[in-house]
Amino acid sequence: MKVSIGDVVLPGDYFDEISTDNAKSRVVIGPGLRKEEDHVYITKAGVLKKKNPHTYWIDSYQKRVDIGGSTTAALSYLSFEGATKKNRPEVQVGDIIYAKLVIASKDMEPELVCIDSFGHKGRLGVLTDGFVFKCSINLIRKILSPQCPLLESLKNEWPFELAAGMNGRIWIKANSMKETIALGNAVLGAEFMSQEEIKKMSNNISATLAGHVY
Amino acid sequence: MVPERLQDFKLKPLKCELNFLSKSDGSAILSQGDTVVLASVNGPLDIKTTSQNIEKATLEVLFCSKEGKPSVADRFKENVIRNTCETAILGCLYPRTGITLTIQELENYGGLLTCAVNCACLALINSGVGMRHVVAAVSCAVNEVGDLVLEPTQQEAESARALLYFVFDSRDKNLVTGFTEGTFSEDTYEEALVRCRLASDFVFQFYRDVVKKYSNVI
Amino acid sequence: MAEIFKHIYPSKYFNDYISRNVRPDGRKFDEHRDVKVNINAITSADASAAVKCGNSTVVCGIKLELAKPKAEEPDTGFLISNVELLPLCSSKFRPGPPSDHAQVINNIVSDIVMNSKCIDLKDLCLVHDKLAWVVYCDLVCLDYDGSIVDACIVAIMTSLKTLLLPSVSFDAETEEVKVDTSARLPLKIHGLPVATSFGIYEHIPRNIVLADPSAYEEEMCGGVGANLIVCWNKGLFCGIQKFGGSNLSTEDEKRTLVLAKEISKLVEGVIETCIKNDKVK
Repeated sequence: MKVSIGDVVLPGDYFDEISTDNAKSRVVIGPGLRKEEDHVYITKAGVLKKKNPHTYWIDSYQKRVDIGGSTTAALSYLSFEGATKKNRPEVQVGDIIYAKLVIASKDMEPELVCIDSFGHKGRLGVLTDGFVFKCSINLIRKILSPQCPLLESLKNEWPFELAAGMNGRIWIKANSMKETIALGNAVLGAEFMSQEEIKKMSNNISATLAGHVY
Repeated sequence: MVPERLQDFKLKPLKCELNFLSKSDGSAILSQGDTVVLASVNGPLDIKTTSQNIEKATLEVLFCSKEGKPSVADRFKENVIRNTCETAILGCLYPRTGITLTIQELENYGGLLTCAVNCACLALINSGVGMRHVVAAVSCAVNEVGDLVLEPTQQEAESARALLYFVFDSRDKNLVTGFTEGTFSEDTYEEALVRCRLASDFVFQFYRDVVKKYSNVI
Repeated sequence: MAEIFKHIYPSKYFNDYISRNVRPDGRKFDEHRDVKVNINAITSADASAAVKCGNSTVVCGIKLELAKPKAEEPDTGFLISNVELLPLCSSKFRPGPPSDHAQVINNIVSDIVMNSKCIDLKDLCLVHDKLAWVVYCDLVCLDYDGSIVDACIVAIMTSLKTLLLPSVSFDAETEEVKVDTSARLPLKIHGLPVATSFGIYEHIPRNIVLADPSAYEEEMCGGVGANLIVCWNKGLFCGIQKFGGSNLSTEDEKRTLVLAKEISKLVEGVIETCIKNDKVK
């Protein structure tokens, strides 16, 4: 079936509007789209989106990130700030790290680092204490989006630290167990809520929690 | 032979819930009439080296019947579903990985296999695995008089002279999988194929409606 | 050199042949391999046949037994077929319990025999609710080179056609059974179902349908075993199975069905002639 921007699409649908566009400018086809001969076919179910000038992708629901590789990623000792062969960073098996991917290809082992290209760690590195839970990738995208009011409204209620990874893991650290649990539930609950609902919920949560704490 | 209009067809009512299981990467529960099937997809995952394929993903299908006892008929169903889904999945995007598809029969009032194939397809859609196209399974019975009955009930299927099952792709409505029981003439086969092909549009439209319902909230 | 290329880049190697309208073994796309049938290959069996389709070799042996019919169907006998794919026939198979593939082949073969209604199971019943024949058809594959279902069907049908059932007398009062092996009668067979396999190879601009694919061709077409199996019996279909491989368009499907009809007539001729020649001997 032929589809256009904003439509709900299924794998196997095709999309022609790209080819009729100005041929000279560069066209980017993102996740969920695939070029086969003269057509661009859809490979994931969702909504077809476009960003000017020529970036197309599918907004789809999924729980597993696709970095291309299926094997476990490698994390070198030297990929931490200030690490040398003698001066090894303190990382134990089981530690939670906040890292980014430098290599992701379907034919190679993925590689993680905890430094940027200048050798600084920024916020990357080992995360101590706190609590980790899994969720869908869409939720991660949702809470990281600048339009999402969740973190904005929650941070006014009490202090906490939060790291959301694109691998579907969220790490939270708050002052008390109760606050951590409340935060976790708030984040998970926000998945299928509109912006107004999220605002309302965050206010309610702090109110109920406040009632219990004091 | 004049193919009828689409409105003339009636399939069993379809009901579906996506993401039914919280821990699997993709899952769907589908009811076609009174037949209910649950499917779950996990992957692409790391698998043992012996079953890895350097060109494409390895698809493993497990069909669990309600009785729980594995049988030769289950292996046959697994084979049908695996072959069908392998053509639907873009396996070349995930070389050396494994995708597991588990199908659990919940209620069987006829049309179990068509329901299982459609449910597997919905679970794959939900998992976000790259797919070449979606697939729709439609079954058809030839009754004692020689008339065609789409989506037969259990009784109709038992008394039928022949049963024909077809799976179509969403791109060109070509035949992905097909298998038959009983004997039938060439004309009957052609007519059944045309009718089921038309009826598959219902299933594709249903998939689209399901995805639409879920994409409103994300 | 070609042998090395075949291993390094199998898909390109095969595609090069197909683009030149020929198959690696020199056949045309719609050409099938020769069928050879040897009747009574196993003397200790009640009926048997050895069949060769190209390199694919299958031996079928039939053993007869007497048993009490099932309580729910007191008028029917039993026909039990079993296909064995041992490590002997191909490196793809491992020793141990039957693989999934063997179970699927077995299912297809017994479905075809049952669906074609070439044997009325009621003919196998001797005394209502007391005595019936159990026909065990054991199929052993000796060489696996594709289109194994075709070879199995030829082997099983030839064996069944040459099967002679001994006469049995049953004393209703004493329930004593007497089998007289000297007086034998043939089993009634309605028609002669023949299966024809096809592989469907994904090719641009259009997909190619390969008749009677070899094991290598089956592998290249994707999936285990042939992609399309069409079975004719007396001008009617008794099974059209399509699993995996590329998708089949309407024109291809029509052409394939016609081709299947032609091939099945030829194979039918081979079986009939072999049986006739055997009787002359």
